[in-house]
Order: sequence, then structure tokens, then C-alpha cells
Amino acid sequence: MSRTTLIVRNDLRRRLRAPMATILFLVIPLAMTGVIGMVFNPGADNRTQLPPIRLLVVDNDKDLAAKFLLGAFDQKELKDMFQVTLTDTATGEALMRKGKASAMLVIPEHFSDDLADQKPTALEVVKNPSEEFLPGVAEEFAATMAVGFSALAQVFADELKVIKSVRNLSLEAVTIADMTPFLEMARAKIIALRSYLSPLLLTVSSSTTTRPGREARASGFNIFSYIFPGMLIMFLLFTIEPSLREIQNERADGKTRRMMFSPLSGLELVTARIFSGWLLGMAVCLLAMGAGTLIFGIDWVSYPLQLALVAAACLCCAALFAMLNAFFRNKNQAGAFASPIILVFSAFGGSLLPLEQLPAGMRWVGRFTINNWFITGCREIMDGRLPIAALLVLTVSGLFFAAVAMAVLPRRLSAG
Amino acid sequence: MQQHILEIKNLSKSYGETVALANFSLDLGKGEVLGLLGPNGAGKTTLISILSGTLRDFTGSVTFKGQDLFADRGLKNLIGIVPQEMAFYEDLNATENLLFWGGLYAIPEKELKKRARELLALVELGARAREPVKKFSGGMKRRLNVAIGLIHRPELLLLDEPTVGIDVQAKMSILDIIRNVGREGTSVVFTTHQLSEVEQTCARIAIMDRGTILAQGTLAELIRIVGEKEVVEVSGEFSAAAFSAIIQQFDGNGMEVLSVTDNQAHLAFADPERIPAMMQHLFQRHLPIADLKIKSPNLEAVFLKMTGRSLRD
Ligand SMILES: Nc1ncnc2c1ncn2[C@@H]1O[C@H](COP(=O)(O)OP(=O)(O)O)[C@@H](O)[C@H]1O
Ligand SMILES: [Mg+2]
Repeated sequence: MSRTTLIVRNDLRRRLRAPMATILFLVIPLAMTGVIGMVFNPGADNRTQLPPIRLLVVDNDKDLAAKFLLGAFDQKELKDMFQVTLTDTATGEALMRKGKASAMLVIPEHFSDDLADQKPTALEVVKNPSEEFLPGVAEEFAATMAVGFSALAQVFADELKVIKSVRNLSLEAVTIADMTPFLEMARAKIIALRSYLSPLLLTVSSSTTTRPGREARASGFNIFSYIFPGMLIMFLLFTIEPSLREIQNERADGKTRRMMFSPLSGLELVTARIFSGWLLGMAVCLLAMGAGTLIFGIDWVSYPLQLALVAAACLCCAALFAMLNAFFRNKNQAGAFASPIILVFSAFGGSLLPLEQLPAGMRWVGRFTINNWFITGCREIMDGRLPIAALLVLTVSGLFFAAVAMAVLPRRLSAG
Repeated sequence: MQQHILEIKNLSKSYGETVALANFSLDLGKGEVLGLLGPNGAGKTTLISILSGTLRDFTGSVTFKGQDLFADRGLKNLIGIVPQEMAFYEDLNATENLLFWGGLYAIPEKELKKRARELLALVELGARAREPVKKFSGGMKRRLNVAIGLIHRPELLLLDEPTVGIDVQAKMSILDIIRNVGREGTSVVFTTHQLSEVEQTCARIAIMDRGTILAQGTLAELIRIVGEKEVVEVSGEFSAAAFSAIIQQFDGNGMEVLSVTDNQAHLAFADPERIPAMMQHLFQRHLPIADLKIKSPNLEAVFLKMTGRSLRD
């Protein structure tokens, strides 16, 4: 067995021997996610119940389709979600400026006619910039409605023709082929809000082309998947940090002197410590993610990508603390600085407050935190994207920190 | 003269203004057990740290088995170290600790396990080998600390105050172990600030203070430094200055002032007949004296003579 393996094995054995701290760091993020999630989600299911979205609606159409759309907000589920106020453009804009609403939905003039004519038309959503998350939901909803209406317009093209002919308006030819790419792109959103829309779109889902595999995911927004990654990375920092602080403890109690007397080199010791911190972090993180799925039904979407992200994040954490311990003078300094650093990282990096709710300045600073990159990467994976930036930033800075630690620490270790 | 296993020449080391070692030189014969006696701050730990390679920026040279100790990392593997601190993992048991520290030396597993059992027997921890070390008493921990230093069968064992902070019985047991190790042919240097320990344990004793060796030799050789004199220890509520002023006026006929501190002084008398006169002299001048002891020549007297101060825990 190599000396590095021996150190790693010894570190892990000792952490297992006194598992309470590690177990706590595994349980606390789950508990906190549960509590915070419950605040928004008193029901038993996983579908979010955010605070009602204050939505202003300006109806410039006042015709059939607009009435249909406004009617949708009267359905039970949407009633809980949106607090709708009908208004006109000027008043609506004034209210938005005062920040009295999350978003304003403008139904354009001739909306019903244009739909019937299969002419392109647009629902306009004005978002309140100070509330980034709730307006997002409104926008999503509007987009879905637009798709729904477009689909309706096609599915019920014959009926609309009848309406149209009754109104004696000229008919323009719009082919389904023109609409297909748009429909395809928006399909996931339709399915996501299917239960809201099903009375309206009963026949829609079967009439659109199906892309397999995505349906399972689009089962709704899960508040826990929104909160949990932030908690996870914060407690991952807490889990990994002691493994590296051990470097300082051992300097204080003569173990380092004893080690440096043996064939073990400082470089081997530093490498081993980074590796054992990384390994422990990986184990705890993967356990926590599994628990997140079991308890909160979180869908991590792509396990290989998440594994890569977790590996990069754990490397970055372990190497960061190795580097910091290369500059801390003694174990008291290491002890005094570790928790504040983790808490500052967590505050600026989106673990304590969601990234969207942080002021712009804090978000900017947050880009220098492991938390921010892990959370962003995690969300990207959940959105079905490749978290290239996050993987790159975490891996490259992890390797950089490790290099600094390996350059500085061995000399300091062999100097007592 | 036997071949020296360790030769330390003119070792000097300062921490800023503080001189920790000043031209420190010392030789150690193969299989020799040397007690390095020095008060707190004498530079004992600094010496051990330099030998273990964890202190830089010193001058002087150290040869081990005729080679520069710092030139060849491999040489260090032949030395065992017992730091002043309890340098082991409290959450592991004694066997696990021995196997871990031994593992760093790439000893074949079977041999390592055998050696661990052997050492546990030597330090009388065999029965407690499977208990977490944190449950051990201070004395047991000190014994384990020594055992770990011996795991790779070193040719030289360095112990830095191995008996600090434990009771008399535990101390005896550690000193026994050190004697045993010496008998088996391992060379030993151990530092202490306790006279009785070196008196009991070591064939050769070196007295150091302020970073340098003041005297060395066997116990008998060292005592000869003071000569066949009676040593008087005077204690009481007096200041060093007051005592010095009064004792200067006394004609002791070869009396030697070994040390004077507040509340205590040591005097050596070649002519013991002068002791009562000295007492009278002190009483007449109303020096508040609480206690007066007459001792035969011993290491303490040597130490007092060499350092001018007494040695305490
Ligand atoms: N890291 C250090 N920085 C500054 N001074 C030190 C340091 N270590 C020891 N010293 C000083 O060096 C001298 C020798 O210390 P040390 O070797 O620990 O003595 P001992 O072990 O004999 O008690 C003392 O005066 C001590 O205060
Ligand atoms: Mg010391």
C-alpha cells in the first residue's frame, strides 16, 4: 500500500470512527431544504405553491379569445397561483413602475381575429425587474398560453373557419408546417402546465408531434430541487474543510514532525489530504443527492453530468482549503477563518438566499464562490443543458488551488 | 573509544533575538543512553527539531553514522522520534496507531503486525490494544508515544521530555522502557528537566542551558566538578539581593555560592564546620529563614554550580 493510500485510508477511517459531524452535515441540508420547501409548499405534493403572482392584465382585444384566456385564470389551480387585476395600459405601466405587481400581461388588439386568421400575434409580458423569479413564472405561463392558443387555432382551424365565415373575414392560408418548429420547441412547456390547461387543450397533446424522453422530467417545478443544491454545496464545504484543517492540527501536536521523520514527503501528505477531502465530499454529496431524490423526489436529470459536477466541486473545495491552510499560520487561525469563509461563500454564492433574489452587486461577487458555480451548474443540468462553464471554472480553479497548495505546503510542513 | 553514531558540531539557531542554540556540540556512542538535562527554555526541543529536519536556518553540522544527516533523507528512517507532544491519533486504538505509523516505513505487513505486538508488550499496553487511545491515562499515552517511535526498529531514538506531566509510577515505567531499549543496542538521547530521571537512567549525562552544553560525563564525573562538598539549601522570605549582600560579609573559608534566587539560595562548603557560623551570621542580620537543608554532593549541586539557577518542574 502506498503511503498516500495509507494516509487517505487513515483519514477516512477516522472520519467514520466519529461519524456524527459528517452525518449532521448530511442531514442538515436535507432538513433545511425540507423546512424551507414546506414554507412554500404546505401541500403533500411536490408542485410548488409560490406566493400568489400579482398579475396585471391589459385586455386590448376584448373579444372571444381574450375572454377565453381570462377565463383560464378563473380555474382553481390558476386562481391559487395568480392574483389577476384587469387594468388599462397607462394604469398598468404606472403600477408596474411602483413595483405593485410581478408582471403585466398585455393582450394585443385584434388578438382573437388574428388567431382566427392564423396571423402571427403576440402576448406581451412586462416583468418586474426587482422580482426575478415570480415574473419568470408569469412569462412562462404566457408563453404556454401563446402556444396553447396557437395550437388551438390549428386544431380548431375548421371551427375557426366557421366563425370566420360568419364574420365575413377573408381567410389566409397558414400551413401547419409553418407552425411545427414552434410547437415542437414549446411542447415541454405545454406538458409542464398540462394539468392547468387540460380543460383547454384536451386534444392538443395528442395532436402535436412527440419527442420521447422529455415527458418524465417536465412534471412540474419542484421547489426542493430549487433549494437543495445550495444547501448541499454549503454543507459540502463544511464536510470537506476538517479534512484539510487536519494539516494544521497535526502540525500543532507533533504528528507532522513524526511524519516528516518517516519516508513520507510533504507533497505526498498534501496530495493525500486533498484526495481524502475530495473522496469524503464525493461520498457525502452522492448520498445526499440520493436522499434528495428519495425524500423530495428531486430529479437530477443526468447522473453522469451531476457526477462530473460533484467531482469538480469537491476538488475545488478540497484544494481551496488545502491552499488556505498553506497560508494559515496555525490551527487557531484555520479554525477562526474556516466557518466565516464558508458562510460568506454561502451568502454570496446563493446557498442562503436564491441567486435570483440577490442584489446585482452580491451576484457579481458571488461569481467568485464555489457555491455559485455548483448551483448554476446543477440547475443547468436539470434544465437539460451542459454545465460547461461551471465544470470548467470548478475544475480549473480546483487544479490551480491544488497546485498552489502543493507548491507552498510541503515546505511549510517540513519546517515544523 | 567506540565509534560515534551521532556527532553534533557547533549547532546554532536563533529565533529573531532569542538564541535557542549556541555552538551546541555533542557526541553519542553506539548503544549509549544519554540524558540531556536542561531547564525550560534551554533549547532541548529546538535541538530535537533540528535533528528531525523540521527546523531550518541553523548553522553547524550533524553527522549520523559518519554521514551528513541532512544530505540523505534515507538516514532519517534509521532514527525514531518521540516528540514532546502526544503525536498519535486519539480516536484510533493503540494497534491501529502502531500500524499506521509503521505503514509509513513500508514494513511488510506481517512483520509490522508482529513488531506492533512486541512493542505493545514492551510498553505494557497489550491488554488495552483495542481501546481508543483517548481513553488512556497520561502515562499510557506517554508509553504509546515511545512505542510508536520504536516501530521501525531505529538505531537511534530521540525522546523530547518523554515523562512530562505524568505521575511518578508512570515515569518509572517510561524510564524502564528507555533502559530496556538501550540494553537492546539502540542509542538513545532523551531530554528532561528532571535531575532524578537522568540520575537513574543514563550512563552519560549532559547538562545544557541557554543553548549550550555546560558539562557532560558520567554521574560520578559530574559530581567531582563540585568536589567533596556539603551543599546547603537556604529557603525563606528574602530577596536575592538581600541574601547576596549578607552572605558577602561572611567568611566561609572556601564556601562557594552556587546559586541565589528570591526565596532560595545554595551554598557549598568545603569545610562543613563553617555551616553553624554561617547560620548564625544570617540570623544575626535578621534574614527571614524558613528552612535549611544540608545535602551530600549530587547532580543538583552540579547543575546549580553550572547554571547558577535551580531546576524545577
Ligand atoms: N517558534 C519559536 N519562536 C520563537 N522563539 C522560540 C520558538 N521556539 C522556541 N523558542 C525559544 O527558544 C528557546 C529554546 O526553546 P526550546 O527549544 O523549546 O526549549 P526547551 O525545549 O528546552 O524548553 C526558548 O527561549 C524559547 O522561548
Ligand atoms: Mg521542550
